[in-house]
Amino acid sequence: MEDRITKFIAALRAEGVRVSVAESQDAWEAITYLGVRDREAFRMSLRATLIKDADAMPTFEDLFPQYFGLATPPLMNPQSGLSEEEQQMLQEMMQQMLEDMLEQLKGDLQKLLDWLLNGQSPSQEDLEQMADQAGLNQPNARSPQRAQQYARRMQQMLGWEQMQELLEMLWEKLAEQGMDPDSIEQIKEQVAQNMDRLEDQLSEFAGEKLRDNRVEDAQRRKPMNDLMERSFGSLSQPEMEQLRDEVRRLAARLRTRAALRQKRGKQGKLDAKTTLRANLRYSGVPFEIHFKQRRLKPKLVAVLDVSTSMRPVAEFFLRLLYELQDQVQKTRSFAFIDHLEDVTDDLLTHRIDDAVIAVLTRLPSGHYNTDLGGSLRQLEAKHLDAVDSRTTVIVLGDGRNNFNDPALETFNRIGRRARKLIWLNPEYPAQWGTGDSDMLSYAPLCSELYQVRNLAQLTDAIDRILV
Amino acid sequence: MFNSVEDVKRALADCQYIATNEIATVLYLAEKLGKPLLAEGPAGVGKTELSKAWAAATSRELVRLQCYEGLDESKALYEWEYAKQMLYTQLLRDKLSSLLADATSLTDAADRLGAEEDVFFSERFLLPRPLLRAIQSEKTTVLLIDEIDRADAEFEAFLLEVLSDFQVSIPELGTIVAKHRPVVFLTSNNTRELSEALKRRCLYLYIGYPSAEEELEIVRLRVPDLAPQLARQAVEMVQTLRQLDLKKNPSVSETLDWARALVTLNARTLDNETLENTLTVLLKYEADVERARRALRRQGGNGHGRSYN
Repeated sequence: MEDRITKFIAALRAEGVRVSVAESQDAWEAITYLGVRDREAFRMSLRATLIKDADAMPTFEDLFPQYFGLATPPLMNPQSGLSEEEQQMLQEMMQQMLEDMLEQLKGDLQKLLDWLLNGQSPSQEDLEQMADQAGLNQPNARSPQRAQQYARRMQQMLGWEQMQELLEMLWEKLAEQGMDPDSIEQIKEQVAQNMDRLEDQLSEFAGEKLRDNRVEDAQRRKPMNDLMERSFGSLSQPEMEQLRDEVRRLAARLRTRAALRQKRGKQGKLDAKTTLRANLRYSGVPFEIHFKQRRLKPKLVAVLDVSTSMRPVAEFFLRLLYELQDQVQKTRSFAFIDHLEDVTDDLLTHRIDDAVIAVLTRLPSGHYNTDLGGSLRQLEAKHLDAVDSRTTVIVLGDGRNNFNDPALETFNRIGRRARKLIWLNPEYPAQWGTGDSDMLSYAPLCSELYQVRNLAQLTDAIDRILV
Repeated sequence: MFNSVEDVKRALADCQYIATNEIATVLYLAEKLGKPLLAEGPAGVGKTELSKAWAAATSRELVRLQCYEGLDESKALYEWEYAKQMLYTQLLRDKLSSLLADATSLTDAADRLGAEEDVFFSERFLLPRPLLRAIQSEKTTVLLIDEIDRADAEFEAFLLEVLSDFQVSIPELGTIVAKHRPVVFLTSNNTRELSEALKRRCLYLYIGYPSAEEELEIVRLRVPDLAPQLARQAVEMVQTLRQLDLKKNPSVSETLDWARALVTLNARTLDNETLENTLTVLLKYEADVERARRALRRQGGNGHGRSYN
């Protein structure tokens, strides 16, 4: 059992659940109180001590039965109900049959016959050997869903089909020898049950083997840091999932940092009026000092390019916008390709995944129709009320304008009106100004400009913007 | 004092709290392992209620610390009671002047005053806030740290120290160690991700929405005046609403509010009019109310909703 629990914890870790040593110790201690007999209580004690995140619950529920499922029952000895005479007859028949067919016997037929008719389960060694032959130790054998397939392969190697024929012959011979038909029926039934149980044992063993492979595999997998440095466009689907988690974590950090800033904001100038009033009860001796609370209510306007060239990174920026909007009360979010759309409500009313989809379907990507300049003009014409001296304007885009008018004057006017004008560009600086990129014309008009093509840079930029 | 999960369950039931096996098991473990219990889940499913029920079931005092943004040590742990110190100084003025009367020099006077400082920085003038109260208590208390996710990360870090050692140091007094470790409940609505360090120190319990039967049992227990048939309909309705992808799902406490409202209104059946009038007890956003109405009308259209008439 100990071994099982250790393996289970390793599997949880391999699936990305963080389990510390202290937590696994708690689990052991919990088990000493509730034991392992009561399956439900056992599950609860593991879950309460190992899982600290609602998101990790499904992983736990998924893995638990795989590790603590009902272990398959051992094989039975079909001869137990026979008289001594009958047992001897059976042994003799088996012996004779084996001798008769010695040259035909293939694979491990003899072993199989032993297991089925004598009720011994295969030893760990036997299992390992079969697993090895069935290819369970090969590097591509990882998916636990394929356990059945490997189990069947192991059966084949044992000569399962041939065994069925052999058994039929055995029954006939026993009948010829005059064994009691009831006894034959009994052995037959029990051997059939043994075959079922052996089948279960094999598939369970295969499943375990595959899961072990998977755990080892995950331990070899590359750490997250690597992902932080990779560009958004080059990620595979599971990596995207991982990155989404990272974005979520980033947002959580933003939140704490914002709270800290507000706290620091409190330690500002002495508030003489409030201090006097608060200390009246101490006859004016200033025991309680009050400070002016700087009520910083920042405003944010984000303009996001979701054109074809930006599509790979648009999703992450959208997620980031979503979290920012959560953070900064007065946020207006706009997205554009050839015209500007106000997507504030989309981000406000949907859950995060739906919101991303909603925005991306509202602005389907086309070919060479980006109009950044035009979109900026629309921003000035329709939504200029959103920009004032408290507003930080963030543009997320590559500055590729499809040779349209960049509307630099408009951009400059917006920038002067705002507190800050920040640009996040996913392209390498070397590419700025090449082809249809107007980045170099926009650059001098921005208060801050960052290259953001991976999460590390994004984190960095956000940090600097917020501090 | 509790020897099995069943005991825990029974004790909670005596205090009108219907605990699932899961809740009872984790609570039992928290008690046995002496670890804080972190309860997460949507608002209004009975996280806070659980700690209250547990305090009642074990006849311990409940000490509650409500967290909010900007909560700091002086609000959570202790504060010097300036006003009382001032008052005492005033009252003891005569005593002080007689004490200082024959001082020969300023230094001498200051020394004498310094020697008496302990009087003013003693527990007499210490105003214990919830954490210190729980630690100082003569009996084991139930300490509820409510909505920890609302406090900032700084406070969370400060809490770690208290939670792992159950002692606090007050510079003027020294270290105060808990005589009886309190049983700690933390609740979180998951508005902010809690630190790994905090989670590591706690047992974790996720309380989700109850199943229809569980919820019905809760309604029957808490609002016994509601007719059984109506209670069943009401619970079914709430469970349906939770499927609708609303901005804010109706919680158990809202189900109870609604049940009480139905009793007050003397409702016999859950007809459309009653529903229209009381839907806002359950739903807190205009958009949600609209969405629920639309969904109910759709159901009414295919004859399903007629049963409410």
